[in-house]
Amino acid sequence: MRLPLAWLRTYVDLPDEVDAIADRLSMLGFPVESIERKPSITGVVVGRITAIEKHPNADRLQVCTIDIGSGKPLTIATAATNVAAGQTIPVAQIGAILPHITIAPRKMRGVESEGMLCSAEELALPAEWFEDGIMQLDESLPLGSDVVAAFGLCEPILEVEITSNRADAMSVLGIARELAAAYGTALRAPSFENPGSAPTPAERMPQIELRSQDCTRFVAQRVEGVRVAPAPSAMRIRLAQAGQRPIDALVDISNYVMLEIGQPLHFYDADAIPHAHLIVRDAAPGERLTTIDERALELDERALVIADENGVQGLAGIKGGSASEVRASTTSLLIEGATFVGARIRRTSARFALRTEASSRHERTLPPALADAGVARAAQLLASLGAQLFAPVVTGGAIAPAAQIALASSELARLLGIEASSDSIAFHLRALGCEVNVDGEKLSVRPPWWRRDLTQSVDLIEEYARLEGYDRIPESLPCVPATTVSSARYRREREAAHLLEALGYREVLTYSLVGESLLGALAQGGLDERARSVEVANPLSEEQRYLRASLEAGLLAYLARRDERATIFEIGHTFARGENAILETPMLAFARAIDTVEQPEWQEEGFARVKSDTLAILARLTGRTVTVASGEDRFLHPGICASLSIDGHPIGVVGRVHPYLAQSFALARPIYLAALAFDAIPEYVAPTYVPPSKYPATYRDLALVLAPEIEAAAVERVAREAVGAECVGVRVFDEYRGAQVGPDKKSLAVRITMQSPNETFTDAAIDERIGAAIARLHDELGATVRR
Amino acid sequence: MSALQPQLDDVAQRLRAGANAVNDIAALEELRVRFLGRSGEVTLVRRGIGALPPAERPDAGKLINDAVAKMEAVLEEAKARIARGALDEELERRIDVTFPAPEAALGSIHPVRRIIEEISEAFGELGFATVLGAEVEPSYYTFDALNIPADHPAREGFDSFFITPELLLRPHTSPMQIRTMQAHRPPVAILAPGRCFRRDAVDARHLFQFHQVEGLLVAEGMHFGHLKGALAYLSRTLFGPEQRVRFRPSYFPFTEPSAEVDTTCPKCKGNGESCSMCGGSGWIEIGGAGMVHPNVLREVGYDPAVVSGWAFGVGVERIALARYEIDDIRRLIESDTDFLRQLQ
Ligand SMILES: [Zn+2]
Repeated sequence: MRLPLAWLRTYVDLPDEVDAIADRLSMLGFPVESIERKPSITGVVVGRITAIEKHPNADRLQVCTIDIGSGKPLTIATAATNVAAGQTIPVAQIGAILPHITIAPRKMRGVESEGMLCSAEELALPAEWFEDGIMQLDESLPLGSDVVAAFGLCEPILEVEITSNRADAMSVLGIARELAAAYGTALRAPSFENPGSAPTPAERMPQIELRSQDCTRFVAQRVEGVRVAPAPSAMRIRLAQAGQRPIDALVDISNYVMLEIGQPLHFYDADAIPHAHLIVRDAAPGERLTTIDERALELDERALVIADENGVQGLAGIKGGSASEVRASTTSLLIEGATFVGARIRRTSARFALRTEASSRHERTLPPALADAGVARAAQLLASLGAQLFAPVVTGGAIAPAAQIALASSELARLLGIEASSDSIAFHLRALGCEVNVDGEKLSVRPPWWRRDLTQSVDLIEEYARLEGYDRIPESLPCVPATTVSSARYRREREAAHLLEALGYREVLTYSLVGESLLGALAQGGLDERARSVEVANPLSEEQRYLRASLEAGLLAYLARRDERATIFEIGHTFARGENAILETPMLAFARAIDTVEQPEWQEEGFARVKSDTLAILARLTGRTVTVASGEDRFLHPGICASLSIDGHPIGVVGRVHPYLAQSFALARPIYLAALAFDAIPEYVAPTYVPPSKYPATYRDLALVLAPEIEAAAVERVAREAVGAECVGVRVFDEYRGAQVGPDKKSLAVRITMQSPNETFTDAAIDERIGAAIARLHDELGATVRR
Repeated sequence: MSALQPQLDDVAQRLRAGANAVNDIAALEELRVRFLGRSGEVTLVRRGIGALPPAERPDAGKLINDAVAKMEAVLEEAKARIARGALDEELERRIDVTFPAPEAALGSIHPVRRIIEEISEAFGELGFATVLGAEVEPSYYTFDALNIPADHPAREGFDSFFITPELLLRPHTSPMQIRTMQAHRPPVAILAPGRCFRRDAVDARHLFQFHQVEGLLVAEGMHFGHLKGALAYLSRTLFGPEQRVRFRPSYFPFTEPSAEVDTTCPKCKGNGESCSMCGGSGWIEIGGAGMVHPNVLREVGYDPAVVSGWAFGVGVERIALARYEIDDIRRLIESDTDFLRQLQ
């Protein structure tokens, strides 16, 4: 909200410079986002053109005689075309300082010019909102008076953020109240007395019908004898400073009241409303409204409207309609000052994307009493322009006074950590307009009508803290009691990250919302993720339409876009469509490119590297044995993909990226990838220590010839079972295919290590066990021993 | 005196001279063979024993043995000297220790995780647990239970991505307040770090996804001063012991009193002036905080007359930008290797 300091000062004395005022506002909970500082202007006074004649030597110049009340008229030549005798205008005298020039006496084509007539722009006002040429001032201004001081032209303008709970602060007066309370200075609030008291003649009497509970009050007032003309200079300038374009006196008055005290008003051309009959109701489906800015809206029953007997005249609390708007011919007004249930206004404003100054106030739910105040202020201002007022007509229930709130000073101390006397609490609350009764440590508080956000004791405690100053509350560290909450999931995630760090992986963050460029690349690689992906109902762009269904895609895109040689991991959530729910899965994925030179086609060194990384991580995280088997995964090469499980429960996969995908992402190097589901990884079990045997371990190496599809894991399992409990290790350590074993065969070298806790094995005992192993390997796997 | 004595003295003296002169082990061995070997000079002397009168022979044997022992000692000494000489030569070597070494193959964790860990560890020392939650949350946990009913104007501030009208990507980590308090009786003391989402257009200062760390402490006797102390502690953990915090009144429906929390700008140390990081204010905003609203405590079945609590939410990316002086928040996502290496 734009807040001209000059306007603010009319209600409250501010014993500070603008920066200190801005700080004060911030520390009251109204952050000042920016301060618009005005250039210095001096020496500009009110003058009147008493005579005007053509310049003797220049067609485009006129020579004005100006009365500035000093008894000595000034002669000023001007090129402006809108000047005429009798006008009251701003005059920059000799020595005046304007934003871009200092006024000095000068000859204009032979005529001595003793100053300059000023345009709005020269007075640091938005030129496009005022007359072309010389600015026009009110006749009533004393000649020779200081224009800059009168209109606060050099005063800065604050841009203040108002939190959504403060319906009362969306106005100059609202902020003035806060500052008066904070500085302890008096508030000069405008009167809310309505000067209209004459009874409205029956045929012109406003008849207001509230057919919806969502209108809490409707104040209507008939005003006659109005004229559409420019508003007084002071009002026009204030509106401009507050960021509101001046239009004409009637529109300006309604805007002025809204900015001043926060109550939006609507002025109807009374002659356009038959029988002065207005109805607040839900719109009928299909009803139409053309707004004053010529937007055609099709309504339904969700919209709250103000209608007359002929149809909708406005969208309640948001915007009026063009049919009954004030026009040049208007002479009588029907003023509407109403309050509504904020949520209703907010929904409608959001649905039609119609955010107006009015709706931004109404959606916070204005206090009903503000409607009366707003209409009264408008009536006062219209009366000052000579309008004829009738008494306001109020529709809606009586305004209940705010409920009393009980507050104990001990409760305040308990929440804030500082002791405060009942009197000091009462002092601050009274400054905010509360009625306070003190009874020992108990206070009974009635908030003012404009503070409907204050409903329970904690609200008052916050008000006290705000006015006392948060900085007055000393810092202290709490003594934290023991709790029952566990950090286990976090700790495991953390440990996994650090294990990967130790293995050389760098953590990256990729986007959780993905779109066409990523899904398209996947689809081109044969992987359509759209069907499984969860869609966002209101994405910012097509590139963020879906929740990511994998971490893998993000890692591939990273490698493709950023650095194909990077060794990376990410920990994050993935999402998939389930039957009736969204399946959200915390995942860990890591990837690296590994170039290999000259390897036989049945071997994959890169796979072995990433597999060993994976097994190391899982061993550390779980303390358990991981089972590796050939597996399947949509991102991985079908022949170079292992599934990992512990105690029969799948945990994840590791393998080489599917070549179609690698091609689609233009990844030239072989990329190896692992993906693990955190919640599938079982909890850590501490291993049991086995002391070393006193007897030596012995091993035998076997070269087995088998069918190529027999996996090393099978050989290890069978050998282990055959040797029995004394087998302390079986490991396949080499594979060979080729001429020496013949076609359709492979040779595996396996080392079997045996050790007994009770004795030294004899050769005969070893041979017996190895013999048993060879027999089982032959029977179960068709393996023969190569001599 | 034995007649052999002069001969032995002569041999011993020549051996000593030889031993002093040699500088390598092989030459020393040659010397030993020449004097003490099977047919060496001492053996020749020993042969002279036969020519002595029988009464002198036993003494002569002892005399030779003593002399041999002394000569062996001389050789040992020379051997030790030569060995030391070789070490001394090694000691003369000089390498260029500034010659670049290959980089260790250690990876790195992301700066966002590092900040979360530092906060988690510091608060862990105070007794806070760290919990993780879901990113897709029902609106009950995101809004309703947090005293933000439907149509509350504050919902607009959490400009959220919705999956369905009742399900959304969490715009803050505060749902973990509700989930934790509903699962545990008081006291609770948690940190809840995690990814959050808001419909912000991406630019140098904004992302539609970011990380928050939520802090929550509910117990008997908790007050606003503790909250201020906790955020000062957090700020000092991340930025150093001189750090100060400033609380500015604000409005969040789920806390009251509520505050925006600023900390001393780490770049200008609070001097402001023409600091690019804080825009000259000397402060940077790190998050929001406040006393848990009694309506929230009631919603989870806690009695606000008995327990009180406070909560905060700090923006991790915002802290990272300030701490590492990162010029553009987008660098934190899909960061290039150089970025990750610099901040490892
Ligand atoms: Zn700074």
